[in-house]
Amino acid sequence: MTSDAYLAARAAHKTFDGRSVLTGIDASIRAGDVVGLLGANGAGKTTLIEMMLGLTPPTSGNVEMFGATAIEAPAALKRRVGFVPQGDELIGTLKGRQYLDLIASFYDSWDRELEERLVLLWGVDLAQLVSSYSTGQRQKLAIVGALAHKPELLVLDEPVASLDPVARRQFLKQIVEVTTDERRAVLFSTHIVSDLERLANRVWILKSGRLIWNGELDTLKESVIRVHVPQSAADLARMRLRQIISVRDSGSAGCRIVALRAPDEDWSSLEDVLGAEARIEHLSLEDIFVELHP
Amino acid sequence: MFILNPQSGTPIYRQLIEQIRRMVSSGQLAAGAELPSVRELALQHAVNPMTISKAYSLLEAEGLLARQRGKPMMVAEQDRAQAPRVQRLQQLEAELEQLVLSARQLDLSQEDLAKAIRKKWSEHDE
Repeated sequence: MTSDAYLAARAAHKTFDGRSVLTGIDASIRAGDVVGLLGANGAGKTTLIEMMLGLTPPTSGNVEMFGATAIEAPAALKRRVGFVPQGDELIGTLKGRQYLDLIASFYDSWDRELEERLVLLWGVDLAQLVSSYSTGQRQKLAIVGALAHKPELLVLDEPVASLDPVARRQFLKQIVEVTTDERRAVLFSTHIVSDLERLANRVWILKSGRLIWNGELDTLKESVIRVHVPQSAADLARMRLRQIISVRDSGSAGCRIVALRAPDEDWSSLEDVLGAEARIEHLSLEDIFVELHP
Repeated sequence: MFILNPQSGTPIYRQLIEQIRRMVSSGQLAAGAELPSVRELALQHAVNPMTISKAYSLLEAEGLLARQRGKPMMVAEQDRAQAPRVQRLQQLEAELEQLVLSARQLDLSQEDLAKAIRKKWSEHDE
């Protein structure tokens, strides 16, 4: 396994009670990567994140964190990771201030100035008990805790689900700030596809426990096309397109084909071949995701 | 300065490349003009900084932009201040195609579309 990866999984499988949850996961995160993890509900996103972080072992295959077996990674390595789990695991009996002080005590790298700036920006009331916080406030506190120790690897499971649009935008800018340092890396899962399109340079699409896309976001957008052709040209189009994702036949209105470009496939002449009636379009990530889940 | 739409089927770096190309060929960005820093643009649009630097690097390789040590990216000296009109029109090809297609689907006439364009144009003159 390549040792320069922050996190790396090779042929990793995970089963729960004999049921396959993750299958054949080969993936890694390196310095400078911002990986967006996309998947339908129940696709296995949280399990994948937990397995990559060594919180749960793979049933077979292996997972490494900074070159060490993830599940056995010593505290010194785990300290290089900041993690915001989906359901936050904050201690309700502490006040916000006590919580941040507790987290800060684990890290030499704690950035007090950054902490104060975020707390002020997000209006988190540190004098109150965490148990009295709203879901959004808890999420903000958890994010401050993960950002302020300036981890090399930041992992966030649905970080913005409870944030209002303004807080969400501030959070996105904070992640941009993190990614201007190319020694750092981010892995985040989200249902808000447009956030992913802003932040991620790489995308993992998880479907039923398998990574069906693990590559650059730009490449994905450039590789998927939707072709609208009249019935008369439908067969020709199907012949020309090799990796067809979906076909929708709308009778007299024509045919809609979504296809993925093979690395050696040249589409430049496609429009000429299919005739003037054909229309070729590129899709947003959301459309691509939907097309991959018929 | 730029309009970036992350939810487009066109990757963000391509949107940026196209807009800079257009502004250079129209002369809106003259030789020697400085572009915003990668960090500044990334934060302003809340997009990955690598996306911005990818666009800048490709334009640099193309000779449109020039990197200066410790200073912002700059528009390189071009052969002519303004590209020929045909060439500039060509850069609108994709948008024109889409516009005409949509207009036809809406059953609008050529005259309707021309009128709408003239109206929009004059709005920008004000």
